[in-house]
Amino acid sequence: MSEFKRQHPISIFVSFFSNLKQMIITLVVLFFFGSSQTRGPWYYLIVLGGLLVFSFLSGFLHWLTFRYRLEEQELHIRHGLIFRKKRFIHRDRVQSIDLNAKVIQRMFNLVEVRIETAGGGEEPEFRIIALNKNEANDIRKELLYGKKKVVKNEEDLSLNAESTDEDQEAFEDLEEVIEEENEKEPDYKWSLSTKRLLIAALTSSGIGVAATFVAAIFSQFQQFIPETWYETAVGFLIESSIAFILSFIIFVVIVAWMIRFVSTVLKYGNFTLEKTGNDIVISRGLLERRQLTLNKKRITAVRLVQNVLRQPFGYTSVYVESAGGGTKDEDLSTILIPLCKEKEVMDHLEAIAPEFSFERPMSKLPKKSMRRYVIRLTVPAILVASFLTYFIDYGYYSFIAILFALGLGYWQYKDAGIGVNDRFLWMRTRKFARTTVVVPKKRIQTIEVSSNPLQRLNDLTTLEVSILTSITGKTFALNHLSEQQSIKYFTWYSYEEPTDNKKRDDEED
Amino acid sequence: MNEHESRPLPDQKISLKALTVWRIASGIEFLLFALAPFAYWWLSNTVEFLPFWIIYLLAVAWLLYGLLNVVLLPKWQWKRWRYRIYENEVELYYGVIVRRRVIIPMIRVQHVDTEQGPLLRKYSLSSVKISTAATTHEIPALEESKADEVRDHIARLAREADPDE
Repeated sequence: MSEFKRQHPISIFVSFFSNLKQMIITLVVLFFFGSSQTRGPWYYLIVLGGLLVFSFLSGFLHWLTFRYRLEEQELHIRHGLIFRKKRFIHRDRVQSIDLNAKVIQRMFNLVEVRIETAGGGEEPEFRIIALNKNEANDIRKELLYGKKKVVKNEEDLSLNAESTDEDQEAFEDLEEVIEEENEKEPDYKWSLSTKRLLIAALTSSGIGVAATFVAAIFSQFQQFIPETWYETAVGFLIESSIAFILSFIIFVVIVAWMIRFVSTVLKYGNFTLEKTGNDIVISRGLLERRQLTLNKKRITAVRLVQNVLRQPFGYTSVYVESAGGGTKDEDLSTILIPLCKEKEVMDHLEAIAPEFSFERPMSKLPKKSMRRYVIRLTVPAILVASFLTYFIDYGYYSFIAILFALGLGYWQYKDAGIGVNDRFLWMRTRKFARTTVVVPKKRIQTIEVSSNPLQRLNDLTTLEVSILTSITGKTFALNHLSEQQSIKYFTWYSYEEPTDNKKRDDEED
Repeated sequence: MNEHESRPLPDQKISLKALTVWRIASGIEFLLFALAPFAYWWLSNTVEFLPFWIIYLLAVAWLLYGLLNVVLLPKWQWKRWRYRIYENEVELYYGVIVRRRVIIPMIRVQHVDTEQGPLLRKYSLSSVKISTAATTHEIPALEESKADEVRDHIARLAREADPDE
């Protein structure tokens, strides 16, 4: 605990590969989108060699100059080659600690420690990229729970057992030991079964994003496929361009789906959740392991998301928003349960965050808001469809989209709902997926009621609720409530006593 | 309307001088945009095929924009703007096209600042900026002394409020 230590030397390769990956991505992008001038093979070899050397050197220098020392409740770090930086991370400032392991780290039984500190500053996040597991766990324990050093063996205790004061101390120490042991036995444990994992992967959303990606790549690939192949393969399809377009779309969707399938399995494989006291520890990932710790008290909202594929089977996934923590690829939220039956949600919440487990009666939106939901989607669809019909052969097929718009609009209206009890507010909305968000009143930062001119025609309003997630704000909005409804929730949130008039009224009653 | 009885709109208005400041600011912008017709005039002289009549269109658009942005919008905006500071919360009501009504509870206020740019300073006005952990709100133009008072008042109430509720 006194010497400054370097990371495990494998860290050189970790940063080497991550540097390399970034550079290769840049190169590929340049290659695809840049000029297609041909240069000699030497040129590429030299560039590649240069990149290799540079990546390796920077990785090596990082390893050489980065040193850390674990003190009581504090982590000291020194790094930098030219500008030397020293940094002390104290337990009180630590928001969350995640342990991640990519494939390279896993091969050598190492982990990456990611420490998030409060108050931001220039670097709210800090990484030590390669440490052996025990070391990482020591750091994690010290910075999360670390108080005093835990004693000693029983002999020490028996020696101390003479004076009462020391007896007391020894007793406390004993308790601590017990606490330590308790830490290892979680109150609640849940893991994602293989069957559920596969279902989650099959029904995972985000196909749209993957599909655009696949389509982009394939449109690039067309250049490389020899003309003759291409023509024999798809020649008969080109005759009827609509069939060609359709088959292309289907093909892209299937490939995108497979990509999503694999990436979901890799991401949520071996998913386990353990709760000990206030700490919720989530570990997940098949190749790349991640372990994140979440404090129950920091949860600012719970979100249930049912995408279109999962809803018919009664499946849902549960996310939490929390102050601190949260990952960029999940929109700064944290996934609590990747997939479970809707009716199980209550039990899980009861065990993990009991205050969030209660019945949530929904009050619906007024009939007149249906029109707004439907019009908002249908008008753009009609415009686009007319445009396509006018300019493209077979463009009139796009009028099918209007039916979808009508249906989705109605569905959005039907699913929209809101409710409160004395300590919570919940709202259900649908974009494509149906989302229910539950927010404790004391976590709501502000509430806003707004109305645009179209809404005002029908006395409709939008209710917006802002909370803190990770280190920034997040706003949940429910569209097209009647004005009375909005004002009701607005006053529900108000910290003022009811106005004088009303009080008097009450007294008269 | 019924629901407004249970929750009256905030009743404090912002300084009338805000109107002047906004008009000067958007007036400067208006003058800058006058460059667009001139630029087109110059272009149509150098490039053959650009028709001259478009310049009338641009000029009309420019004038309409000026009318809206310098004359009407500031007035509407000023008329709409209201705030009220209660014991436990701040309420704002503003917006011409999209109307917004916000509650900011004192216990959620992280900090309050007053700010003035050169124009506001000239008219001895100040804007008050209220930040929570998630959002930032602004009361755009109050008399300097009033702004300081509001700021200190909110800061004091925010300090007193018990964050654990």
